[in-house]
Amino acid sequence: MSGDSLWAHGIGGAKDLPIPPQLAIAGAVAALTVSFTVLAVAWRTPRFDESAGRPAPRLATLADSAVLRVAARVFGLAVFGWAMFAAVAGKDVLINPFFGMFYVWLWVGIVPLSLVFGPFYKAVSPVRTINLLFARLSGSDPEAGLFHYPERLGHWPAALGLYAFVWMELVFPSGTELGPLRLWFAGYVGLMLVGGALFGGRFYESADPFEVYSTLVGHLSPWGRSDDGALVVRTPLANLARVPARPGLVGVVGVMFGSTAFDSFKDSSVWLKHIQGSSVSPVLQNNLMLLAFCTAVALVFSVATASTGVHMHQRRTALPALFGHSMVPIIVGYIFAHYLSYLVEQGQLTLIQTSDPLTTGANYLGTGNLAVSYWLSYHPTLLATTKVLAVVIGHVLGVIAAHDRSVTLLPKRHQLTGQLPLLFAMVGFTVSGLYLLFAA
Amino acid sequence: MTRLGKLAAGLTVIVASLTLAGCGNDDSNDGNTAPKTIEVTFKGDTVTPNGERVEVTHGHDVTLHVTADAPGEIHVHSTPEQELEYDAGETTLTITDLDQPGVVDVESHTLDKVIVQLEVR
Repeated sequence: MSGDSLWAHGIGGAKDLPIPPQLAIAGAVAALTVSFTVLAVAWRTPRFDESAGRPAPRLATLADSAVLRVAARVFGLAVFGWAMFAAVAGKDVLINPFFGMFYVWLWVGIVPLSLVFGPFYKAVSPVRTINLLFARLSGSDPEAGLFHYPERLGHWPAALGLYAFVWMELVFPSGTELGPLRLWFAGYVGLMLVGGALFGGRFYESADPFEVYSTLVGHLSPWGRSDDGALVVRTPLANLARVPARPGLVGVVGVMFGSTAFDSFKDSSVWLKHIQGSSVSPVLQNNLMLLAFCTAVALVFSVATASTGVHMHQRRTALPALFGHSMVPIIVGYIFAHYLSYLVEQGQLTLIQTSDPLTTGANYLGTGNLAVSYWLSYHPTLLATTKVLAVVIGHVLGVIAAHDRSVTLLPKRHQLTGQLPLLFAMVGFTVSGLYLLFAA
Repeated sequence: MTRLGKLAAGLTVIVASLTLAGCGNDDSNDGNTAPKTIEVTFKGDTVTPNGERVEVTHGHDVTLHVTADAPGEIHVHSTPEQELEYDAGETTLTITDLDQPGVVDVESHTLDKVIVQLEVR
């Protein structure tokens, strides 16, 4: 049994059927209609940029309690420790749970958890916890580093880290072999600990790819913080407007959307036939294509946001980051559509596999006897409809967020025309996403 | 608030029409239930077909009629996965248990190439 070779194909068995054409078209028409309706009838004074949120003192007592904080840290460290156990002591076979914990739980599971709980990864982050423990031992402050984090770097290190992840998942031929994956993860942990020691907590907020990803998605939850740090309840759109416009945000957005689109594209029959019939190395072509997808998204977004009339004092180059938050719902909708069945089904499989980290037939956690429910895959119409709805809802939220920001930022006479390029770009992203769900 | 109301009304219509569009095409392909046979030819480091899509009906087996110049192994990325071996010359292989709807890659392990993608409906 050549178990490891199955992994050469990537994690998971059958993939989703393409969505039916009439659904893809209905979704595209809906996206288009809503976009222009928002533009035509929506408000002309900002609704979300000013929203302070409602204080939630009782919830704050619970959320900020030492017990819950410590419990979250212990949970994160326990999952991390278990994954490391499987990664270091386990075998290089397809049922080693480290693969599923890395590619399914961490990468995709982070999205729903952050939608429900807000910045989930920040609360459980094992690298933050280890940094905290080091600081305790040495009697220093874990939030303070030796140096100030260079703010000009912003989220760029996170964008690079996210790119390194998707490269490992989608391009690198040995991405599902234990050795390389372990090395990748060791590199991540090492860099995060050094960064945390040098720059303190601000480093994780800015540069930890998983924390940045999780916190961005968490802005679509109803939980926020007021300026003095108190827990408040806001509408997700008001929370989203609070995404700081930092350097590199556009890079993160480009990698997240571009890589998910590439993942769809890579499995399409068209690309498969091309790459298998071509004499040029498939790895090289996949490398170039992934880079092209991510760069194209970032470029289109930047040009579209900057193509507007602005106030005298407004720097045009600052606009892409100021609008960056509006891409988050579009990304989340698309990731949800792309990964829903994968998360549900491979996520269950991973839970079963975690009971047997060493592939000895053990059932340490008692989950080994559970069976995966493939209910979702057996209802392809429901699945396809859910996927298209997720894409359309994400698009609508994105358009509303962008409209609200335009009203805040742009001079009165440019508010309508200034939004148009971004609106076209967003419709373009959404329609391309639907097309890939239909064609791949 | 009326503007938001209009928007909400518009959204409701869209959601409703989407759901309707989605419901139109349920299980309409129970008719063509002929068992599928796919001719597969391995020659050197090429294989035909080369990544084609083939529609199949769930619950039906797919037969691969393999002609090869060297023995090799085929992986079927169904749930659960299947592994099939063939010899040099002609071999007939059967892919079973295609019950779950989805796209199943049939891959030559030897060449690291996808031969066909079965669209199980």
